[in-house]
Amino acid sequence: MNGKFDQDEKKVYTNEAEEFTVGTLDDERRVKVLSPSMLVLKRFMRSKLAITGLVILILMFAFSFLGGLISPYGQSEVFKTYEMTPTQYASAIYNRELRYTVKDGITFDNAARAKTILAVNSGDETFTVGDQIYQLEIFGEDLYAISSTMTVAKVHVIKSFFTYDENVEGGIEITDEFKAAFEAAQQAGENTMAYRGNIYTIAEDNKNYDIGIGTRIAVASKKIFDAVDTADEPIINSVDFRIAAEVAATSKATTFEYDGTRYGLNYEEGNVTVLKDGEVFAAISDIIVNPAIDDTLLSSGFKEEARRAITSKENSFTLKDEAGEDVRFTVEQSNANYVIRTDMPTELIDMYSPPSAKHWLGTDANGMDVLTRLMYGGRVSLMVGFVVVLIELFIGVVLGGISGYFGGWVDTIIMRLVDLFNCIPQMPMLLILVSVLDAYKVTPQIRIYLLMVLLGLMGWTGIARTVRGQILMLREQDFMVATEATGIGVRRRIFRHLIPNVMPLLIVNATMNLGGIIITEATLSFLGLGVKYPLASWGTIINAATNVYVMTNYWFIWVPAGLLILATVLGFNFVGDGLRDAFDPKMKR
Amino acid sequence: MMVEGKNTSANNNENILEVKNLKKYYPIKSGMFGRVAGNVKALDGVSFAIKHGQTMGLVGESGCGKTTVGKTILRLQEKTDGEVLFNGIDVFSLTKSEMRKLRPRIQIIFQDPYSSLSPRLPVGEIIGEAVREHNIVPPAEYDDYITKIMRSCGLQPYHKERYPHEFSGGQRQRICIARALALDPEFIVCDEPVSALDVSIQAQIINLLEDLQDEYGLTYLFISHDLSVVEHISDTVGVMYLGDMVEYAEKEDIFGNPLHPYTKALFSAIPMPDPTVKMERIILEGSIPSPANPPSGCKFHTRCNECMEVCKSIPPKQITLDDGHMVVCHLYDEEVMANGGKLPKGSEDEHKAIDTNQTQAGEPEKLS
Repeated sequence: MNGKFDQDEKKVYTNEAEEFTVGTLDDERRVKVLSPSMLVLKRFMRSKLAITGLVILILMFAFSFLGGLISPYGQSEVFKTYEMTPTQYASAIYNRELRYTVKDGITFDNAARAKTILAVNSGDETFTVGDQIYQLEIFGEDLYAISSTMTVAKVHVIKSFFTYDENVEGGIEITDEFKAAFEAAQQAGENTMAYRGNIYTIAEDNKNYDIGIGTRIAVASKKIFDAVDTADEPIINSVDFRIAAEVAATSKATTFEYDGTRYGLNYEEGNVTVLKDGEVFAAISDIIVNPAIDDTLLSSGFKEEARRAITSKENSFTLKDEAGEDVRFTVEQSNANYVIRTDMPTELIDMYSPPSAKHWLGTDANGMDVLTRLMYGGRVSLMVGFVVVLIELFIGVVLGGISGYFGGWVDTIIMRLVDLFNCIPQMPMLLILVSVLDAYKVTPQIRIYLLMVLLGLMGWTGIARTVRGQILMLREQDFMVATEATGIGVRRRIFRHLIPNVMPLLIVNATMNLGGIIITEATLSFLGLGVKYPLASWGTIINAATNVYVMTNYWFIWVPAGLLILATVLGFNFVGDGLRDAFDPKMKR
Repeated sequence: MMVEGKNTSANNNENILEVKNLKKYYPIKSGMFGRVAGNVKALDGVSFAIKHGQTMGLVGESGCGKTTVGKTILRLQEKTDGEVLFNGIDVFSLTKSEMRKLRPRIQIIFQDPYSSLSPRLPVGEIIGEAVREHNIVPPAEYDDYITKIMRSCGLQPYHKERYPHEFSGGQRQRICIARALALDPEFIVCDEPVSALDVSIQAQIINLLEDLQDEYGLTYLFISHDLSVVEHISDTVGVMYLGDMVEYAEKEDIFGNPLHPYTKALFSAIPMPDPTVKMERIILEGSIPSPANPPSGCKFHTRCNECMEVCKSIPPKQITLDDGHMVVCHLYDEEVMANGGKLPKGSEDEHKAIDTNQTQAGEPEKLS
């Protein structure tokens, strides 16, 4: 039997050339040479679950890293919308107070106005403010003219010798007729005189006579005058026009005359309009209409309509705007005020908008596109996962490797350090550490990196233990003894023999860890301690679900993020499982 | 290419390896501070020598220290005491870098061909790695050299690209042999190289080892528990029991005339391929005692079927007979035998020994 085997073997290695031609079972043709890594890949590809996981992960990466590039929106771009909302356009109120129209160049201050009201209430015809005497003329209910005496001439009388001061400001021409009239009145001891149909008052003060004439300087009325053309305002605001118009209006006259011009009056419900040459010249009303928005000029047409609506107690009215479209205004009474509202375009943050063609997954509470935020959030979540695993691997492999390879007291110290780290409750510790970040007001961008470092520092122990165990095991294997026996250097022993043999386990561990880290990051972000606004991460997006209203009504904000986390972690676990099985040499090829 | 020293000593009859009173104790630590509570005496003073081009077989039960001898000779672990002289150089006196230079000249082949090859390296790399490390051949000749070595070990050149998992146990052992051989060694410790292989493959490997020995003038220390293999391959044979070398002689001598009761028991277990021969087996009672707490006197006395009173308390001396046959047993000590195997008069241990004898009287000590 031995002999037979010997022959077979000899044939294989001495008769090589012949063997090829004969075409017997020949190693080179039989099996394709596969390196252990290729074998692992082959086995990995056989596992349906692992492929599913891999596909999920590829999709996730494409979604996060390519999606962010494709998406037309930015990560923290806030979307606005214009909506027609009832906005206060104007307010109106019945005028209950006397309003004063004062002649140009005359001061009629608040003290004088107060005295006017007192005089009106007590029925006095004159009142004094300081040393100025005012006369009150009553034209009708709520229409008063206020006059004061204006000095037109000054006379000094010494024993019937009259000296006229001709330089009185605003004085009149001193004619002989005027002189005669004054002298007659002075000698008669009267304190009035008539001159050219006007009554002048004479005030004496130690032989000095001031000749004055009463002039209307202001009008107090409860009516409001609105000019159609602002150029007409000087006329409309003149005292005499007011009095003429109001007196006419009170007596329901259809015309009145002022300054040589004939004006017409037109009466409608609540509105009295002054017509000039058949055109509307001004409106008289007791309703004040003020714009609610600054820098808006209300048209007289609007005011007219508003007053009509208020007087006829209508709730709304319609007016044509510049474009000729009907604009509807609503009138709402609150106490004495009337609020006039209309739908106006208002800029609003487009929050919680449901999925649409523009926003496939709607927008969130900040008016940001949920889909875009999911993409950018995926970048953060995946990157955090990978960077943290790399940090964990680095620390774990270095410390575990040193521990396992050198052993002795180094091993003891490192393993006690690992025990120490394992004694720290991870979640509370993380919460404390990230709140320290809060206290230092770290910017969101830097915070992410610090978060990665923190998570890495907290999680390396498992990998260190694995590596140490694996190296301790490998160190005793005959092939490691053989490297020593063949005199191979330490560096080569570590990098060519130890590391490659630890790698499979590390890859599996790292893949499995990735899912866990993504969940930890999501948890921290969910608690508001991880990635901070305006940066997105899947955890921060799910954070919206802490609000019950959002959770129940706006599923499109948090459900996709949850599904993404679920899919990614599942993907990593599937791939990890697949790798573990693929690396397992006991599995069939 | 030839390592210096090989030429100078290849044609004379000098010893390539001398092991003198080699001791290897593994301390047993206990307590919090790692206090040494005792020692596992894996090797308790082993001496032997091997001549150039010869093969020494080392046999014994599992756990008797055979592998420890092999590993200590290679200085894969430190000794406790004694000397290992390789071509007259004390291996343990060398510095690390000197030791690295010496490494290629002494190689080892492991028992388990599965764990002794790194699963992540292709075969060519496994064999050639150390060749490059030690510059055994110029880089230009490297490929041809590896091919040559592989061919001489029964491997095909295209096997270079393959990984260990693609090979059977026998082929793996060939790879291990090629790895050792590639360094152009003078001396190879074969640590049970065929134990893990099935019988037909064992023959191939043994033949290969013999062929290589002829071709390259190698010296082997062949460690095995398989006596027929040892009988086939060895020139001299050492028998170990519990860290001690109990018998050492030329192969013909020891197989033809085993002296030590343990050797006799061992050799009685060799199966005879002749069914007509009635085998007289000596069956040893009990198992090998713990090397941490070996029996007093002769370590073998607890299982010996020729145990005498003296064996229980006094360790036997090493007795070398005229033909160089060395044995460690009281039976061959004329002084002791003259005394009838009793304790010498006035010995301190006399009383104690008698007491021990009485307590053990009920137990069967011999069985044939």
